[in-house]
Amino acid sequence: MRTSKSAPALGQIGHLIPRLLLAVGLLDLGLRFIPVEPLTFRAWEALTRYRPPGAAFEPNRHYENDRAYGDIAAMGNLPEVRQYRREVFSTDAFGFRNAVHVATAAVSTILIGDSFAVGSGVSDDETLSAQLTALSGCPVYNAASEEPNPDPDRIVSMARRLGMPRGLVIHLYSEDRDLPRIPASRKRRVTAVLASMPPSLAGFVGWVRGLATVSPLQIGSERVMKAIEDGKILPNSYAGRVVRRTLENGDPILFRAAHVEDFYTRRPASADYWTWLAAELRDARLDLLVLLVPGKYTVYRPHLIDDERRGNGGGDYLDRLEGELRPAGIPVLNLTPVFRARAADALRHGQYLYWRDDIHWNADGIALAALAVQSRATRSAGDCRRLMAEKP
Amino acid sequence: MLFNSLVFLYLFLPVAYLVFWHLTSKTQRYVWLALTGYVFYSFWNYKFCSLMLVSTLVSYLAGLGLLRWRDPVRRRLCVVIPVTLDLALLAFFKYTNFALANVQGVSAWLGGAWTVPALDIVLPVGISFYTFHTITYIIDAHRGVITPTRNFFEFASYVALFPQLVAGPIVRFRQIEKDLDDIDRADRRVNLNVGWSFFVIGLIKKLLIADTIAAVINPALQTYAQLSTAGAWLCMVGYSYQLYFDFSGYSDMAVGLGYLFGLRLPQNFNSPYKAVDIADFWRRWHISLSSFLRDYLYIPLGGNRGSGAMVARNLMITMLLGGLWHGASWTFVAWGAYHGLLLVLYRHGARLWDGLPIALRRVGTFGLVVVGWVFFRSDSFEMALTLLRTMFSWRGGLEIAGAPVLVAMLIVAGLAAHWGPNTFEMPHRWSPPYVAGLAALFGACLLVLYGAPSSPFLYFQF
Repeated sequence: MRTSKSAPALGQIGHLIPRLLLAVGLLDLGLRFIPVEPLTFRAWEALTRYRPPGAAFEPNRHYENDRAYGDIAAMGNLPEVRQYRREVFSTDAFGFRNAVHVATAAVSTILIGDSFAVGSGVSDDETLSAQLTALSGCPVYNAASEEPNPDPDRIVSMARRLGMPRGLVIHLYSEDRDLPRIPASRKRRVTAVLASMPPSLAGFVGWVRGLATVSPLQIGSERVMKAIEDGKILPNSYAGRVVRRTLENGDPILFRAAHVEDFYTRRPASADYWTWLAAELRDARLDLLVLLVPGKYTVYRPHLIDDERRGNGGGDYLDRLEGELRPAGIPVLNLTPVFRARAADALRHGQYLYWRDDIHWNADGIALAALAVQSRATRSAGDCRRLMAEKP
Repeated sequence: MLFNSLVFLYLFLPVAYLVFWHLTSKTQRYVWLALTGYVFYSFWNYKFCSLMLVSTLVSYLAGLGLLRWRDPVRRRLCVVIPVTLDLALLAFFKYTNFALANVQGVSAWLGGAWTVPALDIVLPVGISFYTFHTITYIIDAHRGVITPTRNFFEFASYVALFPQLVAGPIVRFRQIEKDLDDIDRADRRVNLNVGWSFFVIGLIKKLLIADTIAAVINPALQTYAQLSTAGAWLCMVGYSYQLYFDFSGYSDMAVGLGYLFGLRLPQNFNSPYKAVDIADFWRRWHISLSSFLRDYLYIPLGGNRGSGAMVARNLMITMLLGGLWHGASWTFVAWGAYHGLLLVLYRHGARLWDGLPIALRRVGTFGLVVVGWVFFRSDSFEMALTLLRTMFSWRGGLEIAGAPVLVAMLIVAGLAAHWGPNTFEMPHRWSPPYVAGLAALFGACLLVLYGAPSSPFLYFQF
């Protein structure tokens, strides 16, 4: 082997490769300034890109996609199982998913929680907050975000910002989430500092974070790799993240592999977080209702014809959690029984409560939840500000 | 951090490289190399840096002791203490749970009800390599092969040198001593082409060949019991190439990175699948490990001296321990025993074997090696025996998804491994069309790096 010392020239590998690296790096950097919407399959990724600290999404955005599809189909690289649908997704000036008029209306209830509460996969008028508003006639503010367990200080300041001296906070907790923990005081301080940022600075921070973390080149490359790993050219390495099963009516249905594992794991159930949250909210004259939403596997497992998985542990996580919350005096509504019953009935008519290609519920599932909440909570005649967690 | 990751290519390497070449003195460059090694290691787990630092400090002090003392007792202590420490670290982190599980197994077999709890021990990445670096340093110093360095930072940069830190090659101090001594006089431009050439070829071997083969055979081997005979052979021949292109690709990248910093690392693979007998294979495969085992274990045991039985014993001990070094599992021990046995048999039947046509000897050696990889790849004896039964009997079975791609990759890999020059035999003075071809393949590698999560090198687990 010989080594050489010669003048720089693109014909030499030692000069070309670093320049190629640099060129690709610059291309990556340049592409980070272009809109990412054409590369997204749903609103979530598009609208969380430049999310300012403290907000769920970019403020005042409107996203429409006629061919949105589910996150599990995307995750498992299974295009044949996609359920294409139209998704309309709007955010308000605070960066939460609300039709613009809600923020200024007489809000009586704040909905917090994760992507189920946000309404991932459904359009603006089908979200839980929208359906509860329509059912009750009392505006429900959707404050759900990627951070499913927001700090009570932020909820209170949001209530004050909405002109809500008292009212109800519905915390939607979905089964597939980790059990929330009382945040450490340090984390609360950091959250408070971030929340106190001026909007212009928060917007800038969100923009920088979006540039740093979202790479259209990476998304495009992933698409290319997924096209190659289609199960025919190369085995689909993404399929392992997903469990694909068949329902009694022959329809395929997808679950996240981790969620199926969780179902068979006996997870600890504790009311500590909600006891703390309720106490913090009570001081600000806000009531708490915990809404327990079952995971898709919990609801549809009895209706699978090819599920060989059996296990003794798990399967009753939300029931045990409800059993912890009630003695602690926390108002709670566990949707598991009503969802299981309705899912069996709906399946006979080819209808579903969840998207088959997504972890999330669909408009029918949300409607069922809204009805359940409505029948549980009530209000004094004509006074939306007194929507109660429990019937008197 | 992996060489085949964007954070390495776009953050770590440019910073490490540019700062290194802006520094001028020896000590500055030693400190920077040591520092980059620790930062590189911290990306995996910063807590284990202290372990490497302790091993480095103890061996450095022992080296100073060897410089100072002529008294045999003190000199022996200077060897025993650091080597014992290194082996103890290795034994604790790598073999404790294996030992406990075996104690448990024996206890259960004897009818005992003794339950041994498994300890929550994380195996520090690269411990098998950097402990061997310090061991070779101390033993070579004791033997008078090298003069221990008085410069702590020179020694620290040798142990923590990031190109070879986590998966080798096992570089002996004497192999880079001169380059380290001349590090302040190194010329950045001299080795730029050869460095990038090695690195790019290594990356292509890893990402485009080894990982593509792995993408097909890994899912197939998950359902190994359902494989057909042809499928089992395809998978195991595929694994043989995957392992070679993965590890030799990593070694090429390490060598290339070494060149970029003015250091020449030794060759680790010399076309092992061109070997004409099993002894030849071990002179070509993972050379830094096989020569370590030869010089620091086999020869001290007696080597080729003594009766045939003694030599056989030495070979078996060396290969069994070599197998165990790869992992705390009986399948690795079985793999080592298999190769030990092949070496013993070859010693006795060399005349017969060497009389065969060379093509037959090459094919035969490769076949024997492929069979050995069954133990190496298998998670259990049940898997190994099932695969071997399938390979050596006839049965139909499931088709392998991606089989056409696998076959195409095996042809490419086979041509390169059996007929092509290895990276050290290449001139690395590429004409523009070759440079364009390599750049295009490097571009494909970048597409993979952007589009898929980085896959770790197989030898990281050892």
